[in-house]
Amino acid sequence: MRLGSLILICLPILQGNTQRDDGQWTMPGKNNAATRYSGLAQITVANAPRLKPVWSFSTGTLGGHEGQPLVVGSTMYVVTPFPNVLYAFDLTREGYPLKWKYRPEVNPTALGIACCDAINRGAVYADGKIIYNLLDGHTVAVDAASGREVWKTQIGDMQQGETTPMAPFVAGNRVIVGPSGGEFGIYGWVKGLDVATGKILWTAHNMGPDSLMLARPGRGHYIGDPNIGVSTWEGDSWRRGGAPVWGWISYDPQLDLIYFGTGNPGPYNTEQRPGENKWTNSVLARRPGDGSLVWAYQFTPHDSWDFDSNAEMILVDLVVGGRMRKVLVHFDKNGFAYTIDRVTGELLVAEPFANVTWAKGINKRTGLPVVDTTKTTGASRGNVKGICPSLEGGKSPASPSAYSPRTGWFYTATNNLCMNFEAAPVTRIPGTPYIGATTPYMPGPGGNMGEFIAWDAARGRKVWGIKEKFPVWSGSVVTAGDVVFFGTLDGWFKAADAKTGRQLWKFKVGSGVVGAPISFRGPDGKQYIAVYAGIGGDWFLLSGDVRSDDPADVRPPADFAPDLARHTSQGGIVWIFGL
Amino acid sequence: MRYPDHVAAGGNQPPAADLTNPLSIDSANSTDGSKVFSAMNCDGCHGGGALGWVGPSLVDGRWRYGGTDGAMFQSIFYGRPRGMPAYGGIMSPGAIWKVVAYIRAQPVPANVPTEGWVSTGERRP
Repeated sequence: MRLGSLILICLPILQGNTQRDDGQWTMPGKNNAATRYSGLAQITVANAPRLKPVWSFSTGTLGGHEGQPLVVGSTMYVVTPFPNVLYAFDLTREGYPLKWKYRPEVNPTALGIACCDAINRGAVYADGKIIYNLLDGHTVAVDAASGREVWKTQIGDMQQGETTPMAPFVAGNRVIVGPSGGEFGIYGWVKGLDVATGKILWTAHNMGPDSLMLARPGRGHYIGDPNIGVSTWEGDSWRRGGAPVWGWISYDPQLDLIYFGTGNPGPYNTEQRPGENKWTNSVLARRPGDGSLVWAYQFTPHDSWDFDSNAEMILVDLVVGGRMRKVLVHFDKNGFAYTIDRVTGELLVAEPFANVTWAKGINKRTGLPVVDTTKTTGASRGNVKGICPSLEGGKSPASPSAYSPRTGWFYTATNNLCMNFEAAPVTRIPGTPYIGATTPYMPGPGGNMGEFIAWDAARGRKVWGIKEKFPVWSGSVVTAGDVVFFGTLDGWFKAADAKTGRQLWKFKVGSGVVGAPISFRGPDGKQYIAVYAGIGGDWFLLSGDVRSDDPADVRPPADFAPDLARHTSQGGIVWIFGL
Repeated sequence: MRYPDHVAAGGNQPPAADLTNPLSIDSANSTDGSKVFSAMNCDGCHGGGALGWVGPSLVDGRWRYGGTDGAMFQSIFYGRPRGMPAYGGIMSPGAIWKVVAYIRAQPVPANVPTEGWVSTGERRP
């Protein structure tokens, strides 16, 4: 692992396509750049139709199975949804029996504070430890060999509406973590913990005064006016302004910058928070050592639609406008795909990757969206109809995309949904939701509610797409064999030709796929693909009739997806596929 | 607090007085209760109309922690495991009873147990 880090620092090309893939998967996005690209090439377009299931294991839990397993050496690590059990599977033995299972103490009260099901987005391997978050506001580090708990640190406060399902990121010796709670009026932050001890070394808020944002105007490329995290809010509304950090983090070791997105401002009723509400719905570049803010760009100012910007920031070097640029690529909930210079924050490309009605485009000179003001919402505006995308986003941040250095394209799930949005005034009562909106969905134009696409981020256009009946909510992995994998809500795990989008293979995995597939090399030298099955996340809320386990909770189907439960119930299975 | 649908060891229910709602289930109390339901952010977890969201549906005729007046009052006042906050520190009993009246006034769907996708006109050999 340490050798791998040195190689990344020395090579000029960040995404590592010129080095031999070590066959492991030690961090959520595969590497610091979060490309989710596997350099393994045994599985090809020619042989993928012969993929078969090799192994499966029931996790014993039923929450939405977001996130992805890790493979470190010859051990696979799986974190379950609440109650966040950590399994360590021995890949050298037939049937991959457990080496150990770690059962943390975790507070079930978190189930009522987590907005969007009992999910967990995964662990990271660093410093000999498996590090992940418990739903109830703690980060734990477990010895990767023995399963012994090494440290447990409280990072979030459920009484304030904070829960912690995101996957931590390790940059150097800093563990970077953030909270969920955009629906609970939290005062959002990221924290840097010491990887050896779990001690909290710094806390950087996403709005408020510069001293709490760890922002120094005039330093680095930070061009924010002094205390812009206060001046873009009315009064002290920033103190309950949201900006959760529930998605993915990436890192450029040469620039020494971590990149992450912040989520929605609270409450949904815009009229309670006039102003641009910086830095909600933004990408922030910070130094992992001390958390200081270097640059920031806001995707959706004064958000009217819950367009969280927590989706991954994939770091690549691309030729844009005839010049090689160090960029980050981000598929925002707001339906635009952004290519941004990751050194300075300069906006290079912003084009819609999904159906968009709330804005006519993004002004590249100002970086601001050209908003259709008939689609802005607020308590005095009543029921605003026909907003696309829905608040599930053109893509959910829960569905991380992948990049292939071979094709130069990005591969991502997308949703084709629209919504009506009726806001109402709401009072913040700590520990209870702080929302103030009713937002029913309807399918977008075309009849398909989802599409898995390949995207050219240099030009800002779709290359190919596979339409799906239901929204596509899984993550992706793309390989050096030019095969890309994704899963569907109705329970299919699929492979497609990364160059053409031709479907090669599919298998019904027993429950809808809301997690991200990975690829690894087993101890036998063969290439495998692993993925979770287990519908949930927002789909547990929206399609409550997929539940079967609680006789006291019987719901009507979602009116925009009335037959989802015909194809899937909740589940929890880890699958491994191979040739 | 009695739970009539619990098993009682030996068949003997423990002695207890059940709370009953002092308010009648009428449209005024139900309307007041729906306003409290929103003002206290209950709809944020239980969904608009209490149809279910993060928290369970309150209008399906099924009760995780009991559906008597007293059980519902206790759920709201003291909270419940798995995430129902305790509201007794900020809500008066009168306000809680209005919410109970609102929930009780909601219609329970007639055909809750079965969700079907195949038309009943289909013939089978």
